[in-house]
Amino acid sequence: MNLSAISSIILATVRMCVPVLLIALAELYSERAGMVNIGLEGLAAIGALAGFMLTYTTGSTWVGILAGAAAGILVNMIYAFATVSLCANHTVYGMAINLLAPALASFIYRVAFGNGSSLMQVELMRGIGIPGLKDIPFLGPLLFDQTPMVYLTFALVIFTSVFFNRSKAGLNYKSVGEHPKAAATLGINVTGTKYLSCVICGALAGIGGAYLTTCYSTTYTEGIVSGRGFIALAAVIFGRWTGGGVLLACLFFGLCDALQIRLQVSSLGVPYQFFQMIPYVATVVVLAIAGSKKAGPKANGKPYRKEER
Amino acid sequence: MEKLKRSLTGFLVPVLSILLAFVIGAIIMACLGANPFAAMAALFQGAFGTVASVGTTLNRASPLIFTALCACFAYKCGVFNLGGEGQFLIGATAAFCAVHLSGAKGIGGILLALLVGIAAGGLWGMIPGILKITRGLNEMIISIMLNYVATLFMGVIYTSWIRDANTPQTPSVDDTLKLSRVIPGMRFTWALIIALGVGLLLYYFLYWTSPGFKLRAVGLNMTASRFNGFPVNRYILMSFLISGAIAGLGGASDLLGTQFRLINGYGSGYGFDGVAMALIGQLHPIATIIVAIFFAALRVGATSMQVATGVPTSVSDIIQALVIVFSVAGMALTKLPEFEAFRLRVSGKKEKEGK
Repeated sequence: MNLSAISSIILATVRMCVPVLLIALAELYSERAGMVNIGLEGLAAIGALAGFMLTYTTGSTWVGILAGAAAGILVNMIYAFATVSLCANHTVYGMAINLLAPALASFIYRVAFGNGSSLMQVELMRGIGIPGLKDIPFLGPLLFDQTPMVYLTFALVIFTSVFFNRSKAGLNYKSVGEHPKAAATLGINVTGTKYLSCVICGALAGIGGAYLTTCYSTTYTEGIVSGRGFIALAAVIFGRWTGGGVLLACLFFGLCDALQIRLQVSSLGVPYQFFQMIPYVATVVVLAIAGSKKAGPKANGKPYRKEER
Repeated sequence: MEKLKRSLTGFLVPVLSILLAFVIGAIIMACLGANPFAAMAALFQGAFGTVASVGTTLNRASPLIFTALCACFAYKCGVFNLGGEGQFLIGATAAFCAVHLSGAKGIGGILLALLVGIAAGGLWGMIPGILKITRGLNEMIISIMLNYVATLFMGVIYTSWIRDANTPQTPSVDDTLKLSRVIPGMRFTWALIIALGVGLLLYYFLYWTSPGFKLRAVGLNMTASRFNGFPVNRYILMSFLISGAIAGLGGASDLLGTQFRLINGYGSGYGFDGVAMALIGQLHPIATIIVAIFFAALRVGATSMQVATGVPTSVSDIIQALVIVFSVAGMALTKLPEFEAFRLRVSGKKEKEGK
């Protein structure tokens, strides 16, 4: 392994980690308000499609990203209404979103582009180097010559950590996930916060999906999310429901993905599928080592009924 | 009386959800410029129009019944097994390897394939179960991760290890191993009979035996069951083992009945579809089977609908997803205290009018 191989792996790690990180942050905001949303895979799928279509028609990746966010929010509002207002089971409803959103995405794609033998492609978002920092030898091009989405995502991690630990609004927000009744007696709008969490979750998961079609792959294919929504769920657990922890977990999964691709190229006569398994097997192994379901918001996944004692 | 009312809502909610989903499906069709009535007619004609198409529908339903029962059984014990697809594929893959490597033929080969499928699916299903009871892990994430691993492992078999010359697929299973059709002229095979048999067995086990009762008790309230001295962990593990075995049997029988070879994309979506069907069927094995047949009909019909009216087949996926979106929300709605109050007011009024 020489220096260029290592640097290309680091570069790929950062690139691979961003979509998972965005989706994991979506789940973090959701679960901090007590909303377990396993529909991330579906939200990311619809976000990926919206991002692709709008980038294709307008030519602007930023419009694509915003469209992804909007699509994610729209779909997640179904989840929000059913789980917050109707007190439906979070897991079951997340599953329903996982069925609805990809079906919707593939339907819209067929209607818009036909059964397409021709390959639809978009131009990816360009990287912007940060002047000064990108000239640092070795590390500069790796960390400071990325697309703006990468910078924004990492900035969001910092914001999230500060928000949940250092701000009154963040503590209030967390209290909804820990003990909604107590939060309500302090005058916090529990239902409103839960809805807000679903808006944030939908937006971030949608952006995570849109990232795939605006910064990562030039085409939209069915199953482009390929389990990232579920890996993000694992990342939140592994990251112990904190911004920094989630970042580390996602970097780890990004590294697995990067290594996997690297190993596939230098295939040693081993069927390539074994390398493709690495991120999924790593998720299982890492969770098995980290263990414990006891951490995390106390009222996670529980319905909130105002009048109930 | 109260029980009757509850089972009535349990029946009405899915039926209303299906109707509502079809109405929205019709609106989508109309938006695409197709005549929704013609499209719906083509859909039902394609699924049930002739004896042969009924056979095709039932054949399409067979694997779905297995994955739906797999999901249903695990949920009855309160664990979310989302790994039906992986267990199905591991069952099919193991069954294929067993008959391919041993060269077994005839009825003995069929039995070998089915048994290996059951064992492989069951063991694969045990992994999330073991990790749940020993490490307290979320069984949903683990079982989904194992789906991807199983799909990739099947890929190893058909692209590298047992490859049919130049195409990335395995050779077909021996002709003597293929399950025969039950009724000539209808495409469904003995796989369907096995599926129905498993469904009846599950129904008997869950509702008429003592372990079945305890298993449901664990599913309804794990803490209470633990205080009652039920071996909760053993029931959880058992539910994973059996639900995985059902999916594995499904994979093996579908391989011998319809698929014959391992190929790219095989089984894709079966697991989540099974989850949807089990939920719409209110986790009742018999209702789940009916729902599975219904959705198989929707898919078979969608193809003829596409030919007749140009509406893409994927509209049937949307209708299916909408049914679950509506039915789960509907069931939640009927459990809300506000709804109960509303129902009492309405029925109270009726009683007054009766007087």
